[in-house]
Amino acid sequence: MAGTGSRVLRSVWLRQFLLQGCWNYEGMQNVGFAYCMLPALRELYGESPEELLKALKRHLEFFNTHPTMAGVILGATVRLEERVASGETDPRAIGTFKVGLMGSLGAIGDSFFWGALKPMASVAGAILSLVHPLLGIAALLLLYNVSHLVIRYRGFTAGVQGEESAVQFLRGANLSTKTEDCKLLAAVLGGAYAGVLGSGTAWMVGGPAEVAGLFLVFALLIHLFSIFLRKAVSPSEVLLFLLIVGVLILR
Amino acid sequence: MTGNLLLAALVGAVCYLDRTAAFQMMLHRPLLVASIMGAVFGDLAAGAQVGAVLELLYIVRLPVGASIPPDDTGAAVFGGAAAAVASSSIGLDGGSFTSILLLSVPCAELGKFADRYVRRVNGRIARLTVDSVERGDSEAVRHGLLAGLVLFGAAGALLSLLFAGLGVSLSGYLLPRFGPESREQFSILLPAIPLLGAASVFSCSRTEKTAPLFYLTMTAVFAVTLFFRWAG
Repeated sequence: MAGTGSRVLRSVWLRQFLLQGCWNYEGMQNVGFAYCMLPALRELYGESPEELLKALKRHLEFFNTHPTMAGVILGATVRLEERVASGETDPRAIGTFKVGLMGSLGAIGDSFFWGALKPMASVAGAILSLVHPLLGIAALLLLYNVSHLVIRYRGFTAGVQGEESAVQFLRGANLSTKTEDCKLLAAVLGGAYAGVLGSGTAWMVGGPAEVAGLFLVFALLIHLFSIFLRKAVSPSEVLLFLLIVGVLILR
Repeated sequence: MTGNLLLAALVGAVCYLDRTAAFQMMLHRPLLVASIMGAVFGDLAAGAQVGAVLELLYIVRLPVGASIPPDDTGAAVFGGAAAAVASSSIGLDGGSFTSILLLSVPCAELGKFADRYVRRVNGRIARLTVDSVERGDSEAVRHGLLAGLVLFGAAGALLSLLFAGLGVSLSGYLLPRFGPESREQFSILLPAIPLLGAASVFSCSRTEKTAPLFYLTMTAVFAVTLFFRWAG
């Protein structure tokens, strides 16, 4: 079986950071995926330009998943291409594999990275920036990128070892539990953020009765805003409403 | 000031690239972008103050599939530049802070519109790439990706230049026209904006378990910090 060298694998791994370089509404990450696969395809089909073009066309078909989770698919696709190059597998298996995995990995990645880890890292950064801006920035980058880079690396490595390793990696990563944990942490930190900022304003108001009243107003306001946001009202719309109120106050 | 604006455009281009096209390492987050813009225009801490609030405002809008959330990177470029300039001229009082945050909304929406346009142009680049590969040019893939990256980067640089310029103009020319009393009136709205950020976090982390936890922590932290403020 034709193999892919470690230099080529490193190149494919690094190129996954440019997966969305030509993101478009029709093929989404198609050009990016083909670009990531290019070093491996050149090594496998370097002596047969026609096969190389056929392989590239396979990877220029529609593709979209969460960018961090793409490492798993990329690694496994390199392994599948090796089998195709040695005649062990039908080329159509690659398309089936990619289509089968991209939707579910996209949903898992969106839910974990965008829906849980990013809010958790952001709110931690926002709170710590009250102590020092650089501390907040460092917390935000570290909290997000440790998981981000580990999953990119381990996912790709597991994918390269084969489809079974990829599935085992996904099971072992246990992202659904981690999503719940990050959401829990984000909620705690979000509550702390609201508490700190609320007390900062309440401190200037005066007596205990006013402070308690103001706390209730803040809690109700958060609840009201969250109802709006859940009903798909954009934060921009809420802010524009506040801007109009502000302009009316000025008059 | 021209040098500062050009530097803002250069740094902004890198941050915008991180947003979609490359890396996705959170270099585009408002806390970081607004702090950098603050540093470029002379006051990192002022930029960070605005960035910390902007960081959470749009977190509830996820970039899932083809949906594009408001451009909080652009809002941070505007906010960071405006905060730094305000801090060195009229001072970053409550009114200036509120108006900078509220006036960053059009930047966020304009940036979203520009992002959509770039992705449409990328559609043409992708079609050209596929056509070229079909004609036998395997290098077209590399050229197509490079064209997409350049487009994302150039759009980011232009948007950063525009938003930083608008931020500087706001704090340098518009805000000083309003007296301290007018700005003080405007600051009444300030507490509501970070609360919208907190609601944004609450909404995207909300499950049966997390909802009571959010309010419990809010109550506990509110009480404890208030106690320490009174005691200290």
